[in-house]
Amino acid sequence: MKDTTKTGASARQAGSADTLGANSEIGRKLKQYYDELVSDEVPDRFAQLLAQLEQVEPGRKKD
Amino acid sequence: MSASEGFRTDLLGAIPSLRAFAVSLTQNADRADDLVQETLVKAWDKQDSFQLGTNLKAWLFTILRNEFYSQMRKRGREVQDSDGIMTARLAIHPSQHGQLDLKDFRAALEQLPEDQREAIILIGASGFSYEEAAEICGCAVGTIKSRVSRARTRLQEILQISGDEDFGPDAISAQVTGSSVL
Repeated sequence: MKDTTKTGASARQAGSADTLGANSEIGRKLKQYYDELVSDEVPDRFAQLLAQLEQVEPGRKKD
Repeated sequence: MSASEGFRTDLLGAIPSLRAFAVSLTQNADRADDLVQETLVKAWDKQDSFQLGTNLKAWLFTILRNEFYSQMRKRGREVQDSDGIMTARLAIHPSQHGQLDLKDFRAALEQLPEDQREAIILIGASGFSYEEAAEICGCAVGTIKSRVSRARTRLQEILQISGDEDFGPDAISAQVTGSSVL
């Protein structure tokens, strides 16, 4: 009785079912595109907004 | 530190990601920031319903996404009056140092249907798992997978990039283990 050893490369590939990995051109571009957006400077208006929101009692009665 | 103060700090930290996701969805910087603002207000109002220890970013993305689609529905009606002026002007200003091919990529992304674009962004850029993305989009994991896959294929077509190794010609088609035990 023979032992079937199935440690093929296909198993490894299926394991990382990530079609957008670092090796994929699309994956790299996507990251580049997104990272640029994330590193965009955040306008002050958002910090101001949050400060305002916090001044209004958060647990205010909901009617 | 009060609870609300902590929550505010967490929201503040999430803003860059929220903006990136919003731009990805709207393809328009101004609309994106309005969307983020709406999201922050909604999140603040609903902070009691956020369960500590769960993924705040995913929770916020869900709110943002819902807001986006609800705005889309409203706009859908308004836009009919103004004859596609909207669609013509939905371009992002490329940053000064932006490379040309990134610009191409952006243009290609814009051509994707929203559901595919958001799926590929959530999985390929925002760092969410398929399960998290499915939750954010309110659909099945399999749906996300197929959207990502279609988005990727479509982008490759538009950008004329050949697919990488998926269909690798490894001759192991004889992968049959042959031993079906019964």
